[in-house]
Amino acid sequence: MTISHLTAMLLFAFLVSVVFGVLSKDTPRERLIYGAKVFAAFVGVALLLGWIMYPVPW
Amino acid sequence: MAKKPVEAEAVAKSKPKRGVLLRIWVAAWLVPGFGHLMLGRKWRALILFCSIIGMFLLGIVMQGKFFSLHSPSYLQTLGFFGEMCVGVAVPTAFFFGYTGGDPYFVSSDYGTAFLVAAGMLNVLAALDAYDIALGRKP
Repeated sequence: MTISHLTAMLLFAFLVSVVFGVLSKDTPRERLIYGAKVFAAFVGVALLLGWIMYPVPW
Repeated sequence: MAKKPVEAEAVAKSKPKRGVLLRIWVAAWLVPGFGHLMLGRKWRALILFCSIIGMFLLGIVMQGKFFSLHSPSYLQTLGFFGEMCVGVAVPTAFFFGYTGGDPYFVSSDYGTAFLVAAGMLNVLAALDAYDIALGRKP
């Protein structure tokens, strides 16, 4: 299966967020919120770093 | 301050035996989520199983590489241990004819990252099951 870098990153972030949410918090609501935060952090930081590195010539 | 005898006795009684803890830890390592299932956390077990095995399968379909123990690179040896942390999934993949991926395939590097990450997540899940068995977590 060939997928784009963005899709791979989204899948990776989603699955890791689910596991982190399930393992880190005790109630379903807390898990959902924490998982969403972790997912947003993964994607946000990846996009931010991507844009920061975009003008770098090497 | 030393615990009172009654309190210490209660703690000792509630603490599971070493054999039980070992069984839970090994079960959690071999099959993702199985440790939680043994502890009665069915939904948590199901979510962990689906997430970790899903990640492993994505790594397989992206032709991720299986590292060797006898690799010249220390990082690749660490990768071998990381992948082994998924438990029986690696021998099962070998059983069904997956020989370790194609390093020249376009998604192979992503796949390898998925395989190692699945192993690392399973370690966290196994440690969580161990903590639950010890009574440190609900």
